[in-house]
Amino acid sequence: MFPGPSSFPMIKVTALTKSIATSTHRVDILNGLDFEVPKGEFVAIMGPSGSGKSTLLGLLAGLDSPTSGSIQLDGEEIAGLAEDQMAAVRGRKIGFVFQSYNLIPTLTAEENVLLPYELAGGNGVGRERARQLLTTVGLLDRAEHYPVQLSGGEQQRVALARAFIVRPPILLADEPTGNLDSANGQIVLDLLIDMNRRENTTLVLVTHDRELASHADRIITLKDGHIVSDERRV
Amino acid sequence: MTASQFSWRTASKIAWREARASTIKFTFVILAVAVGVGALTGVRGFSRAFHQMLVREARTLIAADLSVRSFQLATPDQEAMMDRLAKQGIDHTWITETISMAAVEGKTPTLVSVKAVDPSKYPYYGTVQLEPPAPLSTALTRDTVAVSEDLLLRLDLKIGDAIRLGGQPFRIAAVVQQEPDRMSGSLNVGPRVMVTRDGLERAGLMIPGSRAAERYLFRIPPAVNVEQVRANLKSAFPEALIADFRQAHPAIERGLEEATTFLSLVSLISLIVGAIGVGTAIRAHLDQRLDSIAIMKCLGARSSQIMRIYVIQTVVLALIGSGLGILVGLFVQLVFPFLIAKYFSIRPGLTLDWVPAAQGIGIGLLTSLLFTVPPLLGIRRIRPNLIFRREMTESKPSWRERIRNGRGTAIAFVVLVVALGIIAGSLTSAPPREAIRIGSYFVGGVVVSLLALSAVAWILLRVLRQLNQQMIAVPSFIRHGVANIYRPGNHAEAILVALGVGVMFTLTVYIVQRGLIADMSRTAPPGMPNVFLLDVKQSDAQPILQLLKAQPGIERGPDLIGTVAARIDNINGAPLRRENLKGFARRFTYTRPVGAVDSKPGYSDVVQGAWWEPTADTSNVCASDEAAKTLKLKPGDRIEWSIGARKLSTKVACVVKIDPIHLMGRLDFLFDRRMLEGLPVIYYGSVRMNPPDVARMQVQMYRKFPTVTVMNVADVLKIIQDVVDQISIQVRFISAFAILAGVIILASSVAGSRFRRVREVVILKTLGASRSRIAKTFSVEFLILGGVAGLMGSLLALAFSALVLKRLLKADVNFEPWIYVVAIAASALLANAAGWLASYRILGQKPLEALRDE
Repeated sequence: MFPGPSSFPMIKVTALTKSIATSTHRVDILNGLDFEVPKGEFVAIMGPSGSGKSTLLGLLAGLDSPTSGSIQLDGEEIAGLAEDQMAAVRGRKIGFVFQSYNLIPTLTAEENVLLPYELAGGNGVGRERARQLLTTVGLLDRAEHYPVQLSGGEQQRVALARAFIVRPPILLADEPTGNLDSANGQIVLDLLIDMNRRENTTLVLVTHDRELASHADRIITLKDGHIVSDERRV
Repeated sequence: MTASQFSWRTASKIAWREARASTIKFTFVILAVAVGVGALTGVRGFSRAFHQMLVREARTLIAADLSVRSFQLATPDQEAMMDRLAKQGIDHTWITETISMAAVEGKTPTLVSVKAVDPSKYPYYGTVQLEPPAPLSTALTRDTVAVSEDLLLRLDLKIGDAIRLGGQPFRIAAVVQQEPDRMSGSLNVGPRVMVTRDGLERAGLMIPGSRAAERYLFRIPPAVNVEQVRANLKSAFPEALIADFRQAHPAIERGLEEATTFLSLVSLISLIVGAIGVGTAIRAHLDQRLDSIAIMKCLGARSSQIMRIYVIQTVVLALIGSGLGILVGLFVQLVFPFLIAKYFSIRPGLTLDWVPAAQGIGIGLLTSLLFTVPPLLGIRRIRPNLIFRREMTESKPSWRERIRNGRGTAIAFVVLVVALGIIAGSLTSAPPREAIRIGSYFVGGVVVSLLALSAVAWILLRVLRQLNQQMIAVPSFIRHGVANIYRPGNHAEAILVALGVGVMFTLTVYIVQRGLIADMSRTAPPGMPNVFLLDVKQSDAQPILQLLKAQPGIERGPDLIGTVAARIDNINGAPLRRENLKGFARRFTYTRPVGAVDSKPGYSDVVQGAWWEPTADTSNVCASDEAAKTLKLKPGDRIEWSIGARKLSTKVACVVKIDPIHLMGRLDFLFDRRMLEGLPVIYYGSVRMNPPDVARMQVQMYRKFPTVTVMNVADVLKIIQDVVDQISIQVRFISAFAILAGVIILASSVAGSRFRRVREVVILKTLGASRSRIAKTFSVEFLILGGVAGLMGSLLALAFSALVLKRLLKADVNFEPWIYVVAIAASALLANAAGWLASYRILGQKPLEALRDE
């Protein structure tokens, strides 16, 4: 009855458009995108600045609403959901890794990791999992530190741990190594791929970096709001 | 564990840590709340303590178990009732209070309040403290008086000297330090002179019909039912004010309630200013936390979950502020007795009363939350994509969204207004309908003031900005200082409104007070009498008129009218019922003076009907237009009267309008003199004379007619001015809290922009700016903020006070520029002090330290 795990589309985008109307003219950012991402796949989205890749990621995360078209996450239509409903979907289904880490400055590393779990109303074992994840990213000894006391690389590793805390089926990453030097970038990337494999997460990564994209199962390239190529690596 | 429990805990954690990082800013917020709550709990705490004292000391305050106050001498029936009560062991004593003249040779006679007592009985409770110490019963005899200290000062007397009362000599036996029932007494308009009943008789001050206050004090044995005694006395003295020890004195209690309501509402204004501060601080705080909020939204937080953080912060800040406010309230309670010491010598004890404390905390919390709702609602509008990538263009909200957002704000505004109205109404002790009315007026006033202030602030800020851009010639530190004001995140509008409210309110009170006094002492309208004569016997009327006419300096008059105390029984057969009349109209149910005239006074106009013919029968009366309006009288109506034991039936012949500057204008009914023949007629006189000649006339008058009371308006004015000053000081004391709250908000806002200021200072220093230059820039900013707030407050105070004086008090408005200059300067200096208090440490910042911190 149900499609198999690998063929089941975790993300299904149909005829997706996004345009912005200003007082004088109308800018089309995305022009009717169609694609599916099966569960467990690692997709890199590439393209030059202004190609619409960040807008796409934002729409996938429900941070903005599309002008038309549909986005289904794990079979659930998210276009047109109200703000709070969308927040709930994010809390359950989406993990985030940002370019600029975006940890809450007033919470410790461990509390930051725990936050999505708490927001989703987790039932008490979260702390243990948070510590496990901090161990995985090699920062258990910094659990009580505040973001300002951590280096950029460390902050991003905390952000990674945070992204996985609720075992989201989808992980969205926006230039996760963009603010890091190459050594730290490599550590974060390795962790990201490793954890993605381990948790069997569907990973969508937006990047400029061809080297980073080369680790993906599939690369979708955007230009002027169109998909110009969609290549699967064997 | 449920989602909400968990989120509350996390929310508390975040709330606590964020607050810790904003200690200075939040400290000011706490102070702002504390000031408002302090004013409120202080006023209400004092009022409650005062009320409790009234109840606790009820016996002492009336010097008896029960007191009956009436403005008529007891009738034979009433005497009989008191005799019957005496047979049950209920003792009573009679006290008469009146005003008269006291004189010594070579001095102008002075107005005194005379109190005649039976020292063997009075007071039943409490003691009359005399100096030199002696029991009242030994000090006071037929030939002696006990007087207050101020009479000795005024007439340059000492104990043992003689004064004249009604022309009769009395020896001053002692100074009255304290009398227990002074607060519940009547006619306390001049220095006290206490005499015995015999002494009063000897002085001959009391003539039939003169307006004195008679009090009968009763001592009731414990076994006797007080309620029964009270009921008996009420039926015997239907017009009297009866007080007994089981309750606080009704007259004082009413005054206390009214004062409490008024001052509570004034305090509520300070609290609202404080709450505006909380709202502004939370808004500024949220502006700085946009990123955190967006991140949390990205991580799946619902707006309601995030709001919890800031609700918790607000609640905690408001609670701490309110708690501190209770301490401030104790200080207010401590100061208050000094402000009213002149009239109420008894001090209620200083206790921490939980009722006003709980009320203060509740209202402090609620008001703070109410003003935090609008910024909190803004959390819903913070979009998570803010953090995701800043270059991601924010699409314009759709129509639907905008309406939805606007709807939330509109609902919040309505809730705020309604809730403030309910709070204001709950602070009154009035019945629900009246409380709703007061609450609505209060909220209406507050909303109008705030909107007006916001509008003025908006305009002034725009003007300032325009000016600043064109002022290229002025030194750059001034331009920088001015630019600081309208910089984003500076909340200049909120500061101006908060500080402006305080200035406006305090200034309005002051201007109204001055206007009122100026209006009273103004000589306009010309011809208005400035000397009044009270209690003139019929036989003295003509000689007194002669004496007055012979005086130098008479500008108008003299005018002498005869009156008789009469009460309306019924109109056209329908009894006049108190229940059917409202407010001031109820006076018609009491015994009041009516005029006795021979013919139509020259300064009156008949507006309905016709004046009676000299040959007509004697039963005609004319009603004043005001009485006719209130009682719905028209010519031909029949009115039945009681004058003492006599019943009279009259017919309304006309309705007259009498020039109010004449004494006659104060009377509601004019009778044909022939009808009042044989009744005790008392004359009242008025005259307008050159002020320097008044004293000479008083001396002559006293020599010939020592029982006639001469009231010099100038003296009375001084007494009234004293009372108005005293009231005004209390009101200003409480309204000053609003200024304080406004200043604290300014400090809070300056502290809130600390990081920005540090950065600025550091950059300026790096670029070579000296400390003094930076200090000047900041000072310009603070001075202008305060000055503009002062200007706004002044403008609105000018408008409000004109409205109050013209419309409510029918007084003239005087424009005195210096008041506003002082207000603006004081406001500017205050703002400068507060601004520096919150930022002086910034100036010493070493550039390298700050740059390294980044």
